[in-house]
Amino acid sequence: MSDQHPPLYHQVVDFLMHEAALLDDGRFQEWFELLAEDIVYQIPVRTTRDREAGRGFSQQAWHMNETWGTLKTRVARLATKAAWAEDPPTRTRHFVTNIRVRPGDEENEVRVTSNVLVLRHQGDSPSAQFLSGERHDVLRRENGRWWLARRLVLLDQTTLGTHNLAIFI
Amino acid sequence: MPGMDGQSEIERLLDEMERSLEQGLIPARIFNDPEIHRLELEWLFARAWVFVGHETEIPRPGDYCLRYIGQDPFIFVRDEAGSVRVLFNACRHRGVQVCRAERGNASHFRCVYHGWTYTNSGELVGIPAAEEAYRGFDKSAWGLLPAPHVASIHGLVFAALDPQAPPFEEFLGGMKWYLDLLFGLTEEGMEVIGEPHRWILEANWKIAADNFAGDDYHTLYLHKSMWDVNVFQVPARANMMGYHVQAGNGHTISFSMAPDPNEPGPTFWGYPPEIVARFRPDRVTPEQYELARRSRVSVGTIFPNLSFLTVPLTADPDRIPPTTFMTIRQWQPKGPDRMEIWSWALMWEGVSPEFRERSYQACMASFSPSGIFEQDDTVPWPLATRTAGTFFFGRRNEMLNYQMGLSTGTAQPVTDWPGPGVAYSPRYEEGVQRHFYRRWLEYMRAR
Ligand code: FES
Ligand SMILES: [Fe+2]
Repeated sequence: MSDQHPPLYHQVVDFLMHEAALLDDGRFQEWFELLAEDIVYQIPVRTTRDREAGRGFSQQAWHMNETWGTLKTRVARLATKAAWAEDPPTRTRHFVTNIRVRPGDEENEVRVTSNVLVLRHQGDSPSAQFLSGERHDVLRRENGRWWLARRLVLLDQTTLGTHNLAIFI
Repeated sequence: MPGMDGQSEIERLLDEMERSLEQGLIPARIFNDPEIHRLELEWLFARAWVFVGHETEIPRPGDYCLRYIGQDPFIFVRDEAGSVRVLFNACRHRGVQVCRAERGNASHFRCVYHGWTYTNSGELVGIPAAEEAYRGFDKSAWGLLPAPHVASIHGLVFAALDPQAPPFEEFLGGMKWYLDLLFGLTEEGMEVIGEPHRWILEANWKIAADNFAGDDYHTLYLHKSMWDVNVFQVPARANMMGYHVQAGNGHTISFSMAPDPNEPGPTFWGYPPEIVARFRPDRVTPEQYELARRSRVSVGTIFPNLSFLTVPLTADPDRIPPTTFMTIRQWQPKGPDRMEIWSWALMWEGVSPEFRERSYQACMASFSPSGIFEQDDTVPWPLATRTAGTFFFGRRNEMLNYQMGLSTGTAQPVTDWPGPGVAYSPRYEEGVQRHFYRRWLEYMRAR
């Protein structure tokens, strides 16, 4: 894939920046259309553990553990006239950095690791809520475009410092 | 207003509330006041029985989790002999927390400061340079302090910090009968799935306890979108049919039930037949079993700050049938206007891994930080807290309205209710909340 134009790395960055813009603009249906139908989207619960016990990500407990269908429900609900958690909307800003692109398991896939920082403002509060973590994505090239096929978000927080996860990370 | 003046102002407020509560009026101020918060930690959380954890969170000897009673840190641990202990998480030398991981497995807890070492039953067994530093020292008097009382029901472990606390059964009162039918229908009981969700909400803890005590009314409006996207099968208005129960001692439970006992619709909270087949009628009375059979939803609050909810919902109405889950959640006070929500998903031991996973998914998708039901609750609760902290409304002791069913509406006492406590039907009724606050006042005024 190395001689593609624009270069692969730029295509990946462009996809992630476009995705972040859709999320920050509240264009959730368009965001949903970036997702492959076999998407697995996961945010495990984390606990503080001793160093020798590992990084503390749960195998059983999730903030989100989504399929295409469950994400469809979430997006549909955000589009209802009674999705009060996001009406008025909170204002998010996704910062995606430290992007590393590696070959994927399939010929048409790449594994993408990045850092994500989400600032979230609600109402008239001038202070932001923060979420930060590591994304482990799989992007797939199909039908002439890129799709998000897998996302694992490894958060830095154990107790979430945000009032809900009505947003996507 | 510091010192005695401030205290007597709060005492007057509580005296006044004692009278106003009978008219269904509650001063907003109790939902955001630094002095009330301080008194709650001292007079309520340090005296009542408070939930600590579920036995299945620490299945093996040495398993531990960190937990909080009020704001005080405890280690919830299973010792080498298999007993569940609740130990104050502080070294007896200088008070440093001896356990800094949230969970794990340990035979000993070693303080990082000077290295005093305690067994997982709390005994002080190791002191560095003991010979030079502490010859003649009686280690046995300096173990980790245990919570004075620990007791459990159906795996739910509670502790009381007051040596004079009443026995746990007495504290639970009539609620035991309802917990038996909720958590006791199988031989093996329920187990916790994974680690609890934890998140911060800028709201007073009582608003959440009050909501789960039986505020079914809010589902009609706040949670309207749940019916828009079809995640719950029982229509919103029909779901208001059922019973509110003041179980005694501030504990409450609300049942969604069809008026006709044989009306089609979810029975046993919508559990599928293979799970209902595990329920043993002989473990409860016929009356309890019949209530369980007729239940579509059960929700309630174990005073003061543990709530539960069991209901069949789906994360994906097009592909997944409604799936029953049981969640317990603890509203931890973190300040007058701040709580930390802890939420656990439970499932019957021995069910198929597929059902267990689907149940967890239904729970997470509706009641968790990302839960589309619960997301909406996180909007009004902080706003009500803000109002309670205002001068115009909160400090002037303006009243909030808890009169539904008292002098208004259709709810009537149920004369042939088969269980303990007092029941009202249908669920357009706020007696359950008044019951909660009556108990709260008893603790706050028992100085
Ligand atoms: S404070 Fe724990 S050993 Fe000194
Ligand atoms: Fe709610």
